[in-house]
Order: sequence, then structure tokens, then C-alpha cells
Amino acid sequence: MGKPGATAETRQVATYCYNCVAGPDLLTVKVTNGVATEIGPNFAGAGVHPADGKPCVKAYGLIEKTYHPQRILSPMKRTNPRKGRTQDPRFVPISWDEALDTVAAKLGDIRKRGILDAEGLPRVAVTFGHGGTPAMYMGTFPAFLAAWGDVDYSFGSGQGVKCMHSEHLFGEYWHRAFTVSADTPHTRLNVSFGANNEVTGGPCAVARHADARARAAKRIQIEPHLSITAAASAEWIPIKPKTDPAFMFAMIHVLLHEHSRERLDLAFLGESSSSPYLVGPSGYYLRDAATLKPLVWDTRRAAAVAFDTDAAEALLEGKVRVPNALEVGADDERWTHEDISAPTAFTLLVEHMRQYSPEWASSVCDVPAATIRRVANEYLDQACVGQTIDIDGVSMPFRPVSVTLGKTVNNGWGAYECCWARTMLATLVGALEVPGGTIGTTVRLNKPHDNRLKSVQPGEDGFMVAHFNATSQKDWMAQPTGRNAHRTLVPIVGNSPWAQALGPTHLAWMFASDAPKEWPDPELPEIWFAFRTNPAISFWDTARIGRAMARMPFIVAFAYTFDETNHMADILLPDATDLESTQLIRIGGTKFVEQHWAHQGVALRAPAVEPLGEARDFTWITTELCRRAGLLERYNAALNRGAALVPLKGEGYDFSLATDQAHSVETIWNAVCQAATAALSEGKEVHDLDWFKQHGHYVVPFDREDWFLTPTMVRQGLRYELPYQERLLRVGAELGRRLHEHDIHWWDSQLSEYVAIPEWHDVPERWVESIRSMGADPADYPLWGITTKVMPYTTGNNAGIPLMHEVSANLRNHGAVVINATTAAGLGIANGDWVEVRSPIGATQGRAAAVQGCRPDTVVIPGQFDHWKTPFAKDLPFPSLNTVVPLSLALTDATGS
Amino acid sequence: MVADLRRCVGCQTCTAACKLTNATPPGIQWRRVLDLESGEYPDVRRTFVPVSCMHCGDPPCLDVCPTKATFKRDDGIVRINAEVCIGCAYCAVACPYQQRHIVKRRELAYGAQATAAEDARFDPRSIAVSTKCTFCSDRVDQAASLGLTPGVDPQVTPACVNSCIAGALHFGDRDDPCSNVSELLAHSVHFRMHEELNTDPGFYYIVEERP
Amino acid sequence: MISSVGRIEPWRQRNWDWRAAGNFIGGGSGSGLLLSVPFAGDAAAPRLTLLGLALIGAGLLCVWLEIGRPWRALNVYRRPASSWMTREALLAPLLFACGAAVVWRAGRTFESLLAGLALAYVYCQARMLQGGRGIPAWRHPRVVPLLVTTAIAEGFGLGLAVLAATAMGVIPASLPWLTATALLARGAVLIVYRGALAGKAPTLALAALDEHIVVDRLLTAAAMICLLAGATIAGGRWLLVFGGLAALAAGSLLKYTIVVRASFNQGFALPLLPVRGPGRAAPGARPGW
Ligand SMILES: Nc1nc2c(c(=O)[nH]1)N[C@H]1C(S)=C(S)[C@@H](COP(=O)(O)OP(=O)(O)OC[C@H]3O[C@@H](n4cnc5c(=O)[nH]c(N)nc54)[C@H](O)[C@@H]3O)O[C@H]1N2
Ligand SMILES: Nc1nc2c(c(=O)[nH]1)N[C@H]1C(S)=C(S)[C@@H](COP(=O)(O)OP(=O)(O)OC[C@H]3O[C@@H](n4cnc5c(=O)[nH]c(N)nc54)[C@H](O)[C@@H]3O)O[C@H]1N2
Ligand code: SF4
Ligand code: SF4
Ligand code: SF4
Ligand code: SF4
Ligand code: SF4
Ligand SMILES: [Mo]
Repeated sequence: MGKPGATAETRQVATYCYNCVAGPDLLTVKVTNGVATEIGPNFAGAGVHPADGKPCVKAYGLIEKTYHPQRILSPMKRTNPRKGRTQDPRFVPISWDEALDTVAAKLGDIRKRGILDAEGLPRVAVTFGHGGTPAMYMGTFPAFLAAWGDVDYSFGSGQGVKCMHSEHLFGEYWHRAFTVSADTPHTRLNVSFGANNEVTGGPCAVARHADARARAAKRIQIEPHLSITAAASAEWIPIKPKTDPAFMFAMIHVLLHEHSRERLDLAFLGESSSSPYLVGPSGYYLRDAATLKPLVWDTRRAAAVAFDTDAAEALLEGKVRVPNALEVGADDERWTHEDISAPTAFTLLVEHMRQYSPEWASSVCDVPAATIRRVANEYLDQACVGQTIDIDGVSMPFRPVSVTLGKTVNNGWGAYECCWARTMLATLVGALEVPGGTIGTTVRLNKPHDNRLKSVQPGEDGFMVAHFNATSQKDWMAQPTGRNAHRTLVPIVGNSPWAQALGPTHLAWMFASDAPKEWPDPELPEIWFAFRTNPAISFWDTARIGRAMARMPFIVAFAYTFDETNHMADILLPDATDLESTQLIRIGGTKFVEQHWAHQGVALRAPAVEPLGEARDFTWITTELCRRAGLLERYNAALNRGAALVPLKGEGYDFSLATDQAHSVETIWNAVCQAATAALSEGKEVHDLDWFKQHGHYVVPFDREDWFLTPTMVRQGLRYELPYQERLLRVGAELGRRLHEHDIHWWDSQLSEYVAIPEWHDVPERWVESIRSMGADPADYPLWGITTKVMPYTTGNNAGIPLMHEVSANLRNHGAVVINATTAAGLGIANGDWVEVRSPIGATQGRAAAVQGCRPDTVVIPGQFDHWKTPFAKDLPFPSLNTVVPLSLALTDATGS
Repeated sequence: MVADLRRCVGCQTCTAACKLTNATPPGIQWRRVLDLESGEYPDVRRTFVPVSCMHCGDPPCLDVCPTKATFKRDDGIVRINAEVCIGCAYCAVACPYQQRHIVKRRELAYGAQATAAEDARFDPRSIAVSTKCTFCSDRVDQAASLGLTPGVDPQVTPACVNSCIAGALHFGDRDDPCSNVSELLAHSVHFRMHEELNTDPGFYYIVEERP
Repeated sequence: MISSVGRIEPWRQRNWDWRAAGNFIGGGSGSGLLLSVPFAGDAAAPRLTLLGLALIGAGLLCVWLEIGRPWRALNVYRRPASSWMTREALLAPLLFACGAAVVWRAGRTFESLLAGLALAYVYCQARMLQGGRGIPAWRHPRVVPLLVTTAIAEGFGLGLAVLAATAMGVIPASLPWLTATALLARGAVLIVYRGALAGKAPTLALAALDEHIVVDRLLTAAAMICLLAGATIAGGRWLLVFGGLAALAAGSLLKYTIVVRASFNQGFALPLLPVRGPGRAAPGARPGW
């Protein structure tokens, strides 16, 4: 419609959305007379961005977000020192000077006393939410963090341990995949265990999967309820929650025990996996006594030789007699063997998987054995073992079968088994990291982040390097360096910049109030910064998290509206939001959830409108904070080193900033824009901030060959560490010894996960047991509760935007407790009835959606709601699973999720 | 317009895009996407069905309109003249696709307080009269002067079609046998909704490849 | 907020509410009453006519209150060629003019003319409802005889009741019988209408109709008994009042039911369900039918 008459001044501003990990996606904002009125695609991204420049529905909520009438538009301070859900914080507006000086003074005082406390823990803690996406909105804040020094990222939000946590750790370990996806453009069969891509993969995944369907590719969705992804699949298999490992093990069983060996990719297994390695009686590889290299059996020489011996033809399967060899166990414990019979790792696998028949799995998963067998057979039939495909002129193996996992499958107990089995299924047919197969997206724990192939370096035993936290007697970190003790408890997470946030971050909250007796009672951090995270809604047992949070002595929250977390804050700093501020980020290459581009480059978030009220660009806030806290030199130096995207100085260019002065937002990003383009174009092109404001993004080609890791592995002569995880076995044993040496036994059940070949343990039973341990009777809790995401919501981030609520109402499960109609009828529940879902720790209420597409033993509570502070969201009568799920050590797996 | 039901995932991006483009008030969706479950456990389906005004060739809403506010353009687009409409809602009960919308007073996203964007877009003429999808005819109308083709060039293509992340929505001239939509329809099995009511809808649903 | 968001199965239209029903009730019973005037005897004609016009006027007032832009109401005259709403609106002034002539006793011909116009008016109303093609319970052609016969039964019943309850004039002996006949005819048409609707309207619409039909049968039976008894038993004047009012009530309730309660819309239906990947399209779905 639009107003008649009056001529309006209208502009289109190109920018990006990165409100969820499926981004970044391009978009344009229509600005009329200085007011942002519409969101639309950026068609300049057609042919570059995998979804041709289209953002998803969530981006369309940014207009209402920007003009939210309850936005916090000036800094505020708390005047009620008492904290808690029932306390009115009595926030009063203050000036930026007062706000920044207050925080800077605290920081300055800490610096004087030392940034670590008496226990060696950082005095400053920081939490960002939702899979790292806040980084795309916090301007130069990373440069402040770099300038500061040790910071504790231990306090988890819903991201991390409630996210694809184990996946991050094992995915990176096995194939440099922070998250894993199908090579959707080439795959023909995608077996998806709860990977909800049509909802969670953003425009790129949706576009790619729609194209895949159009060419008759088949997706089988294995999931307890008929999600949108299941609906858009060729087949839906309702599996009992938490039993996915059994299904996958049975698939491996079928491949190994019901078909001839020749149908597998024997060449790949022999040359690119640890299958031929010989295993000794203690479970460790047999090694050459001199070189300590693992041994394989060379059939040509009829001798055990080091795995990397030239022209060796390694025996894949069987048991051989080895005249002499060495086995190296935990803490360098060594066994010398003579004339010993040793199986290959592959043979151990075959024997181990014999027990997991489809008939066995059927009783665990509540899925007919015939169905499991058929899925396995289809997988094998479609694998195209031996075929190749041409990718932009390069011939590569073609294995159009893929297995993908959702975040409730690749996280928590059972996740190790699932991640292993997924990658193992790919390994058996050579579909790992090749066109059509199961491939990685990005790296985070390993570096560099911009191209995962560059993170591949030779490590020990013919595998990629893996950066474990030390478990040796000498180097084990008995004293945690962060409050979640990631280096102490979780070797595989390593200690790169992302590692701490991927530690067992709920422990920081749990131990803040009651640490185990053998554990130092940690002091809380003196300052906690929180941005774009809402643990008080997104975590487990949100009431308990809220109480723990209220004990934080000083909280600085960047805030856009009030929410359940910043309710506990001492200072609120209003950041200029998505459409109001400036930042340059990377786009392209390969990235989660399903962003595989044929380009890479950078995109600008250009301010479409002036910030409302006193809201300020994050970069301005950061610069001012650094200036006032006496960190300016270090901050600018960090910027010059590349803390804001790219080093400002490189070969043939130098856009470095003078370190002794505070620079404006424009000056800083202008330098970043120029440095980034110079770097991408190798000095050929330099574009400044104004150019980006016109053009939005800048890209150079990215080889599609580089979507796949295997060519890099082959080039470096490396093997994937599958099927046998000798290293995990060893670090697990060492970790156990260290903990026991310190009389720590509360992590023992987690230690049981360190096995070389995963085995089924009754995962659902752990949940049943946890009910018992809370003193309740499992019979009183007959239903499984699971969660699922909804396209219009990005975690709890945009729950306060009415447009998202309105359009979601078209979906049958919005804000409901989804329950099987027959089960509901049995309980006397009709569609639309008000129902309560209870666990021993609490209850949550909502409207019942009685549907056919849900297992009779399962209820689904979509999204994360149950807000009590966030404006608009707090008035939605929606349930939340988080209110009823306990924070529990017993339910924590070895990776800490 | 054509919706490829094989592709649609019910993401509601088109719903939101239409709402912003046309500044429709809260609760009014000229385009929306149904989430339709059918079958019985475990043999269940969910189908996502974009619906809007079907721009019927023989529109029941037109014959009944006592004011001639509803009219059909030569290109087949059915429109409403907001200056003439009396809001009698006769068209609303005549439309078998539930695609006529009337709001009696101004509705705001956040309740009492209008946002700057809402104020910028508010048009009092839209209150208490019948409204519906226009096939973004103001965009389509620019095609001739710009030398562009609706459904091919984004600038003159309906906002919902442009926004669709699954490539499920298509727009074009069904009377031109060489148009994008005619090509699509020629190669697919498709239907129109409520065909038995003889409204000659201008909206097609694709369900499979033509065997 | 009137919103269709989230709905798939046919839902009750909310565009035409009790006010629209009021127009069908007032307009129908009023026209029926005008139709009864030639049979009601000379003495009562002006007052019955006044009452009929008042009812029709009240119905129109209801509509005027319902439309979004009442001050543009005159636009309603722009589509006589196809809109029964325009036609209804065209007839209204004629009806009132002619009615005025009857009231001022301009001659018996005006009574007949008025009856003719009233019949045309109620026919327009019936066709108007039928034009609501989005509502299965309305669009069936049988709705036209149903509304017309209902109007006659209502109008005659009302006329009879008024005559019986007041001292306006003598009650013509034929009037109870005519009313009863109209009631019978209307009952028969209702059965035929409902029968024809089977499978042609959403389940909930049929249920709402069936609920009404139970009440309708009771009211009709009561009316019949009262009318027949009143016509045959001496001093059965009050029975005639009850009989007439019951006829009116049955008709009014029926229209309220059809316009407001059974007015479920078409909903959505898919003759085929799409493939997702390999395979073929599946048989369709039509929720709510
Ligand atoms: N029930 C349930 N719980 C879940 C999940 C689930 O699927 N179901 N998913 C889990 C997963 S995978 C994740 S990653 C986590 C995510 O959970 P968290 O990491 O806690 O993140 P969000 O819920 O996105 O919290 C975002 C917060 O930022 C605020 N915010 C939004 N925009 C801005 C802005 O521009 N400026 C400022 N200053 N603040 C802003 C919002 O108001 C909100 O409070 O949740 C987990 N929890
Ligand atoms: N629209 C949208 N997209 C998002 C996000 C968002 O909030 N909104 N968040 C992003 C983030 S942070 C993440 S981590 C990803 C997560 O992305 P996904 O993992 O794809 O998504 P979810 O919907 O959280 O969970 C997947 C599904 O797991 C199923 N499930 C639950 N329990 C089981 C089980 O035991 N077995 C099996 N097989 N299935 C089970 C549920 O039915 C659910 O549909 O999404 C990202 N993308
Ligand atoms: S998928 Fe995520 S990043 Fe992409 S447009 Fe949607 S919310 Fe933004
Ligand atoms: S869909 Fe409805 S509103 Fe649109 S032209 Fe057809 S009858 Fe008229
Ligand atoms: S509401 Fe307006 S467009 Fe609809 S029939 Fe009445 S006058 Fe015509
Ligand atoms: S064509 Fe335009 S008006 Fe119609 S639904 Fe699409 S965006 Fe809305
Ligand atoms: S944007 Fe496309 S895929 Fe999403 S709901 Fe609309 S038509 Fe379906
Ligand atoms: Mo996540």
C-alpha cells in the first residue's frame, strides 16, 4: 500500500544476517526516509551465495527487532543490590560516561591485582551465545579480549554442551569437521538421524535439499517425530529417542556381515584408514620396536612392517603371527611381544560388530529389523564404490551416500557412538570427505578457521595431528585454568581459543554453588560479560541456572531488551543492533550448517539506519572501554594483528592503525575492509568502507574441490583414525589414573566412554536411572520429552519479535506440547487442551497439539520459551523443555555434554 | 503463480516477505503456508501448502461485489479499489479460498505503540475495507516500462516468489506457452485447488514430474 | 483480531456475524409478513405492513452497522448486473415506497404489488446468500427455496400471532392453514436441503445444521399442533399466537444457524500429495470434510 502522494527518499542497503549458525546470509534493507521498512533478498548474491542472496524468515523479523518499543536505549545500572528472579533490579538510566567509567574502573582495579585469582582462575569471564554468532555482531570486542589476556569462557549458555557438542570434538578429531553435513548437491541417499536441516540449515540447506529432491535424491529421516525435515523426506522412520547408536551399529553389522567384502571400498579402508593396523593383546597398536610406528602386515613381504613402508600391501582383515613387536599403553607403559598372534583393527571391528544385528537393534530402537536392514542395503547399493566424478576438472571418488546427525543425536551420552558410527559408515564405502558423501563444513577447535584444509597437518601414527590436553603425570592440569575445567577433564577438546567454551560448561554453573569435595571451591569471576546469550532460558534446569547467576558479583550485559539473564546484571550496555552498526565478516568457503560455496570473501554489515536512542556501535563501546581502562595500545595492536577479522598489514599492504589513539568506528572498519580485500585479491584490489557500503560484499573463487578433505589427506599421505581409536583408549586410561591419583571418582562413568571401538550401552536407561536417583519412580514418567527447532526462531534470540510468533502460528507445533493423538486420547487430552509436562525437577505448561506424526511414547516441545522477563515473549503461554531437564553429572558424557 | 509442493518446507519466509512488502497488519497474511498433516501413525505426511488469492479466472468474489470495488484486470489479476469498497465482506464469504481480509481498526505488532516502521507504512485507506494478495501488481506493472519479465527479473516479480528459499514459488504468464511457468507446468503433474468449484484459479500446485 | 492464521480445516467464517443474520431474519420475516398482508384482512393491513417494513428496516440497519465503511454505503448500487446485494438494495426503496402506499391506503393493488416486491426481496436475499460461494452451506441452490419458504412461514406465522394477540381485526380462517402449509413446505425443503448437502459441506457445518434440525423439528411440530388446534378449537386464539411465534422462531433460528453457526468455509484440500525425492504423488487430503 504505502502512503499516497508524499515522495519518499528510498534506499536499498546491502547487509548480512548471522543470527543463527546456518548463516551468514545476504539480504537488503529498504530504508524509506531514514526508517527501515522492508527486508528482501540481495540478488547481487545470485550465483555467489548458495541460496542466491536470500535470507530466511528470521531476517524478516529484523525490522520489528530494530523498532522494538521496549528496547533498552540508554545505559543502565542496577540500584537494587539483591539479585534474583523475584527481585526488581531497579535499573536506572545512566550516561555512557558513567557506565563505561564504572566498568573501566573495575577492569583497571583487576589489572592492578592480576588478571588471575589465587586459584589461577581468570577474574574476568565472558559468555557469548548461540554457536559463536554473537561474534558477528560484536565488532572489535575480540580485540579487547585479546588485549586483556586470560578470560574465562567457562560459563556455558545453551550453546556448547546443549548444542552439537560431541560432534564438535569428534568431528574435528576424525575429519576436521566442527559440524558434518551431506554433500547435498551430489548425494543420492542421505540417511539422517534427526538432522533437522530443512528447519535448521538456513536458506542454503533448504535450497540445496530442494534441488536434491528435484533430482530424486532420497532422504530417510530417522527421528521420533515427524519434523518438517522428516515430512520433506522420502521416508520417515520413528525411532525411540536416544537409541540411534543401535540403529547405526546394525547398519554397520549388515555391511560387514551380510555382504561380500568386495562391496566395501577396500582400497580406501586399506590406504586411508587405520583398518590394517595390528592390535596387540592390551588393545594398543603393535609397533615397531625401533621407530615406534604402528605395524601392518605386508602380504607381499609376508612380514609385519611399519604402516608407511613403501609399496607395502597391507593386509586388511585377518590374524597374523608377528615375530616381535612393542605395545605402548597409558603413561608409556610398554609390552614387548614375541611371536604373537594379532588381528588387524578391521578384524576387531568385524568381530565387535557381529553382536549388533538388525534383530538386536530392533528391540532397542523399536524399529522393525527389516527396515534397518533395508536402509543399510540401500546405503550399500547406492554407494557407487569404485566410481569417480569430475569436479571442475578434477577427478574424485564419487560416493553419493551420506549419513547426518542432528544435535540431539551428536551430543551427550551415545554421541560418541553415533559420531563414530556415522563416520565409520562413510569409511566402509569410501564416502568420507568425497563428493556425494559425508563431509565436514568448518573448523573451530583447529586453526586456521577460514579453510579447514589448511588445518590438516601430519600427526603421530600416520594420522592428522590432534591437540589433546595433556594427560601425562607431568603435564596434566590438576588445577583447572577455567571454571569448567576443560583442560583437566576433557583431553580431546584441546586448548585452542574455542576449546574452553566447548568444555563441560554446565560444570562451571554447578560447581559455583556446590563443587565436589576433592575440587577447589572456585571463586566466582569478578566481572562477567554476557552478550547475545540467555542461559537462564536456554540451559538445562533454568531455575537453578538463574539462582547460580544471581550470585555473580558483577555482571555487565550488552542488552537490547530486558531478558532473563540481564535481569541479574549490574550494568546494561545498549548495543546498536543488526541494522544499526558496522562490521565486516567472512563469507563463503565451507561452513556450517550447509554452506559450501564456490566463492569466499567478506561481507559488510552496513548500518541501514541510525542507532535508536543512546544505543552505540559495539566497536565504539569497545574502543571507549579500552581507552578508559588503559588498554588502548594493546587493543590497537590486537586490531593490527588481526583481532577484527584480518591482520591490517600483509605482503604489499599496510593499513595498520596508530596504536596511541582511539579510532572511530569508520576508521577501524575502513582499514579492515582494505586489508581484507588486499589479502583476498593478493594485493590486486583494495576496497574501502564506502565501496562496501555500495557493493555489500567482495568474493574471490573458492575451489569446489576444497569442500572435501580426502584429497588433502591423500596428498599428505594421512589416514583417518577409524575404525580403531587407540589414542582415545590411551588418553582415557591416563585421565582415569590422574583423576584417581587425586581421589576424584565422580567422573568415572565418563571414563567408561574411552574405548577403542564404541560399544552399545543402554543410553535411555541412563535417563531412567536419573529419575530414580532423584528419588522418583520412572513409572510416573512414561513419556520421553524431546525438543526440536522451528524455522522462524533462532534459539531464544528472537522470541520477543511478534512477526515470528505470527508466522509460526501457521505451523502445527508452534508453542505447543506435541503429543501422539492416540496417546493423548488415552490420557483424555484433546487437541488444544492445556497440559502440563512434569519431570522430577519441575513442570511446564502449554497447549497440546495432538498429532499423528509423533511416536506414542514421546512428547516434543519445540523451541526455547518459558520467558518471564523478555518483553512480548513473556506473555506467550508456551512451554519449555529446559524447565524440566535436570543439570546432571550423571547425564554428562565424557566430552562434557 | 505456481507452487512446487515437492520443494516447499513451510518455512514461512514468503509469508513474512509478503507481510513486510505489503505492510499488512498483525494477523493478516495475504500469503501463508499451511502445515497439513494427513494419514495415521506411523504412515503420516505433512504437506506445506502456500496459499493466497488464486486470482481466479472466474472469481466468485467479483460477481458478488456490489460496489465494483473488486475488478479483474486484463492480465487476469483480481484487485480491489480501496476507495470504493464499503467493507461489506460479501466477497469474503464468496471466496472459496478464504483469501479476503478485513480489519476494522488499526492493529499494531506491539499492542499499543506503533513502531517507526509501522507509522511509515500505515495507510488509513486499508482499514475496514477488503484486502488481499495483489500478485504484487505494482511490481508487475513496472515490467513493460523497464523491459523486464515478471517471474524472471526480481524487480518485477512478486515479493513472495523472490523470497522463497526453496525455489518453490514461480510466477509468470500462463497464457504464454513459452513462459517459465508454462514450461514448468508442461513437465509436471499439477492441480489447482477446489477445481470442482469452477473458479478457474490462477494458482497451480506441482506434485510430481510428468511420468 | 479476526485471523485465519494457522487454520486449515474449515472454520466458521466471521465476516458476517449476528448482524448479517439479523438482516436475513428481519428481511425474511418482514417480507413474509408483507406477503401475508393480502390474506390478513383489510383492517390490519397498514399496521402489519408497518411492522413488516420495520423488520426489513431493522435488518438493513444491522447490515449498515456491519459494513466497514457505512458512509460509503451508497456505493452498493454499482453492480446491479450481477450482485444480489445490489439488487436487494435496489428493491428496498421500492418496497418502502410501496409499503407507504399501503399504509396510507392508496389502494388494494399496492398490497398485491407490495407482496410481489416482498417476494422479490426475499428471493434476492436468498440469492445473496447463495452467492456466498465460499460457504458450502450457503452456496447450495436449495438454499433459495429454503429461505423463501422459511420467510413465508415466518411471515404468516408472525402475522397470525399479531392478529391473534391483538385486536387488530378478525383472523381470516384461511391464515392458520396457510401458515401450517408454509411450515410443512418449509420443513420438507429443509429435509431436501440437508439431504443435498451431505458430502457437500464440511463435517462441522453439517453437525451444526443437524443440531438445529432437532430443535427445528420440535418447534415445527409444536407450531403445527398449536396452529391446527387453534384453528379447530374454539377459543384457541392463544394457541394461534404460540403457533405463529413458534413458526417465526423456527425460521429465525434456522437463519441464525445457517448464517452464523453452520457457516463453515471451504477450507483447503489437496487432490494429490507431493513426492519428496523419488516415488510418486500420493492420494490427497481434505481435512475437515
Ligand atoms: N529447549 C531447547 N533449548 C535449547 C535448544 C533447543 O533446541 N531447545 N537449543 C540449544 C542450542 S543448539 C543452543 S546453540 C543454545 C542457544 O542459547 P544461547 O546461547 O543462550 O542463546 P540465545 O537463546 O540465542 O540467546 C540470545 C539472547 O540475546 C538477546 N539478543 C538478541 N539480539 C540481541 C542484540 O542485538 N543485542 C543484544 N545485546 N542482545 C540480543 C536475546 O534477547 C536473547 O536473550 O540453546 C540451547 N537450548
Ligand atoms: N531455524 C533455526 N535454525 C537453527 C537454529 C535455530 O535456533 N533456529 N539453531 C542453530 C543451532 S545453534 C544448531 S546447534 C542447529 C541444530 O540443528 P539440528 O540438530 O538439525 O536441529 P534440532 O531441531 O535442534 O534437533 C534435531 C531433531 O532431533 C530430533 N531428536 C530428538 N531426540 C532424538 C533422538 O533421540 N534421535 C533422533 N534420531 N532424533 C532425535 C528432534 O526431533 C529434532 O527435530 O541448528 C542451527 N540452525
Ligand atoms: S539462516 Fe540464520 S543467518 Fe541465515 S538469514 Fe536465517 S537467521 Fe539469518
Ligand atoms: S481466490 Fe478468492 S479473492 Fe481471489 S480471485 Fe478467487 S475468489 Fe476472488
Ligand atoms: S467488501 Fe468491498 S470488495 Fe468486498 S464485496 Fe464488499 S465492496 Fe466489494
Ligand atoms: S504476490 Fe505479492 S501480495 Fe501476493 S502473496 Fe505474494 S507478496 Fe503477497
Ligand atoms: S518461502 Fe518457499 S519454501 Fe518457504 S514456505 Fe514459502 S513457498 Fe514454502
Ligand atoms: Mo546450537
